[in-house]
Amino acid sequence: MSKRSNRPAKPAPKAKATPSAAEPAVETAAAARADEAFETAGEAVVSDAAAQPGDVEAVAPVWEHDLLTVEPEPVWEPDLKALIETWRRGRATRRLSQVLADGYVAVFSVVVILAMIGGAVWRVQADANTCVTGTCQTGRTLLPWVVLFGAFGLTLSVARLFGPVVASAPEGFWLFDAPLRRARLLRSRLVAVLVGVALGVAAVGGLLAALTGYGPREIGEWAAALGLGAAALTAFAALEQTRGRTWLGKLIQWLFGLAAFAALAVMTGVAAGWFGFSVSGGLWTRVVLGVAAGAVVLLAVFAFWASRRLDEIHRARLVSGGSLISGMQGAAFAMDLGLMRDILVERDALAVGQVRGTLGVGQGLMALVWREVQRLWRYPKRLIVLVVSLGVPYAVGALGLEAFNPFVSALILLVAFVPLLNSLRVITRTRGLSRMLPFSNPQQRFALVAVAAFLAVLWAVAASPAFWGLGADHAIAPSEAAIRALITALAGLLAAFRWVTAKAADYSSPMMQTGFGALPPGLMFNLVKGLDVVVVMTGPLLLGWSYWVSVVIGGLVLIGLSGAVNLKEAQQMQQELKEEQERSRGATATKKVIAPPKR
Amino acid sequence: MARAQVPVLKVAHLKKAYGDHVIVRDFNLEVWPGDAVALTGRNGAGKSTILRCLVGADQPDSGSIRLGGEALRESNPVVRRQLATVIDDLDFFPDLSVVEHLDLLARAHGLPEPEIAVDAILHEVQLVPQSGQLPGTLSSGQRRRLALATAFVRPRQLLVLDEPEQRLDVEGVEWLAGRLLADRKDGLAIVLASHDPYLVEQVATRTVRVGEQ
Repeated sequence: MSKRSNRPAKPAPKAKATPSAAEPAVETAAAARADEAFETAGEAVVSDAAAQPGDVEAVAPVWEHDLLTVEPEPVWEPDLKALIETWRRGRATRRLSQVLADGYVAVFSVVVILAMIGGAVWRVQADANTCVTGTCQTGRTLLPWVVLFGAFGLTLSVARLFGPVVASAPEGFWLFDAPLRRARLLRSRLVAVLVGVALGVAAVGGLLAALTGYGPREIGEWAAALGLGAAALTAFAALEQTRGRTWLGKLIQWLFGLAAFAALAVMTGVAAGWFGFSVSGGLWTRVVLGVAAGAVVLLAVFAFWASRRLDEIHRARLVSGGSLISGMQGAAFAMDLGLMRDILVERDALAVGQVRGTLGVGQGLMALVWREVQRLWRYPKRLIVLVVSLGVPYAVGALGLEAFNPFVSALILLVAFVPLLNSLRVITRTRGLSRMLPFSNPQQRFALVAVAAFLAVLWAVAASPAFWGLGADHAIAPSEAAIRALITALAGLLAAFRWVTAKAADYSSPMMQTGFGALPPGLMFNLVKGLDVVVVMTGPLLLGWSYWVSVVIGGLVLIGLSGAVNLKEAQQMQQELKEEQERSRGATATKKVIAPPKR
Repeated sequence: MARAQVPVLKVAHLKKAYGDHVIVRDFNLEVWPGDAVALTGRNGAGKSTILRCLVGADQPDSGSIRLGGEALRESNPVVRRQLATVIDDLDFFPDLSVVEHLDLLARAHGLPEPEIAVDAILHEVQLVPQSGQLPGTLSSGQRRRLALATAFVRPRQLLVLDEPEQRLDVEGVEWLAGRLLADRKDGLAIVLASHDPYLVEQVATRTVRVGEQ
């Protein structure tokens, strides 16, 4: 039996009403077929008696059979899909050209950024011949591998997080509840995701290869290896999604993470001269091509296998990915990165679901501090980025960029400390929980950041040798290196502190007119929150000023972030004082009026 | 019971507006120990706005709010120790279980035997089977019970509740009414906004109809 045999039988030709002016002039053939199918279905259940022309009196429809016993006609999914697409197009209010015209500033920004990247690639390519030292060669050779393993791990993680095959909540509720073959609707989505991942990751891989000074052929090879590899892993994630299995994906993700860390460590060690590592360029090329070829095979196998099993994906699993995307889209439109992270944290907690409850330790503020320790014990995964970040100052130092070490390391630490400040985020995003705890705002904030601060000090101690210098020549004393490392760690911690406690843009305040339309004033600052702290604290070190400048700036930042200065309450106190004074003045004036005259 | 010298809560000439729209004008209220004041009124009358001002979540445009004779400062630890609230801005730690939330609160408030207090309240709100669950996995009714438990597991002199009956089943509302009544008789001052006639009738010593001139 051919596939088309499943289609509903074509209805007998009949006179159609002339379309009104409001109806779309052009209708796809598929949509027309689907419309006819709907009309046919309607005729199947409603008696003609209800629609006799010429009847004036309303006649109650007589049902030929009830819906419990009716034999449903098979659905032809491509027609259904075409109908949905027609509806969507019919409801679009703007064309793509109009969207681009309205967002001309965004388009202009993208063009400028692309031009800057192009310029950087041009310069690097022009200077490629000057890369003759061992450090530079090692960096060129190993850095793409660090990125490759990291990109593979990240791709698998994101693919597993979202699905990678997803459906929106309305689709899940209205469409996938029907007795249709989901695979026919989902197959094109899977292909779209795979193509998107392949092109996106290939672009990143190619750009990185270009920035490390490779020629056009090597750039193509790296782009192909990264793009195809990422697509193969996404197809694998889709296959696992059809099986409802997670452990294998997690395991592979961890292996890629470890491989990336190992590559970073080798790169640092070689560049610092701790050990040697050399592989001929020809072998590297063959390995990269081998990765690409293997990826093609795996991509074909996993994609075919997954597409055959798409019917097996649970509706809840499809819809949860769609809900996550719509939630993230909402937060992205508001440029609220904090909210995006909150959504992911909530999702992570939902996946955990239940824990073995542990009783706390201590009382008062210490109970908060100890609870943070217990959290870390329960979720040690949160320490991974912090541990990995320890390699950054060594890698930066090995590449001879010691001067940039505070800035680069603090930026990485900003990312590393955010997962350790989840409680601080919760307590500051709404005030309800904070109001429950009998401590002032600074007390609460310091208690919840105490464990992270302790870890920051440990990081500084472990990173101090990198700040002192990896070679034989040392530009600064060990004590100054330790202070620089400490300032860097605190800059990262305070930046994360600012990131998690910053308020989202207030859409109820008066808007600013911009090229993107009306925006709330705090929206743009929201994007650089945290980064500003890194710049102001590590800037003096970059400029060669005394580290005391950074220390003083850090102190001021800490006071600002602690919540000790509560402007709203100060305004309220001032307001109450003013009202009190006015009332007392009024009372005095009244007394004067009613005072009896002296005789 | 001997009458205290100052009311637990005193609100004078409270005014709150959003833009040109005045929600609350010249609102006055005194709540003494053992009082339970129920704010009733149609949706949008301003009940929640009043409660948000009373707990310091919103700032009034004018007027004064005094807790135990002192001006209300939401960030003041003394105020936080005396005032227990369940209004719409309560949040939960996504990675702490039900029992851990209650344990943390009991310890933070310095309860001498937090385990016993937590155990008792867990049984009372019937969340023992869910004690190890993270808040994201709870049903809306269970989350409401947890929210109420956070207010009952700690010492308090004034309890402010915004529509506490929401999402509770019939048994839950009956339990809540009994609990609030017992607390009120023990001298707790209560201010609640509610649409539930049974709860108001059982608990309130005074009813203030909001939104009627």
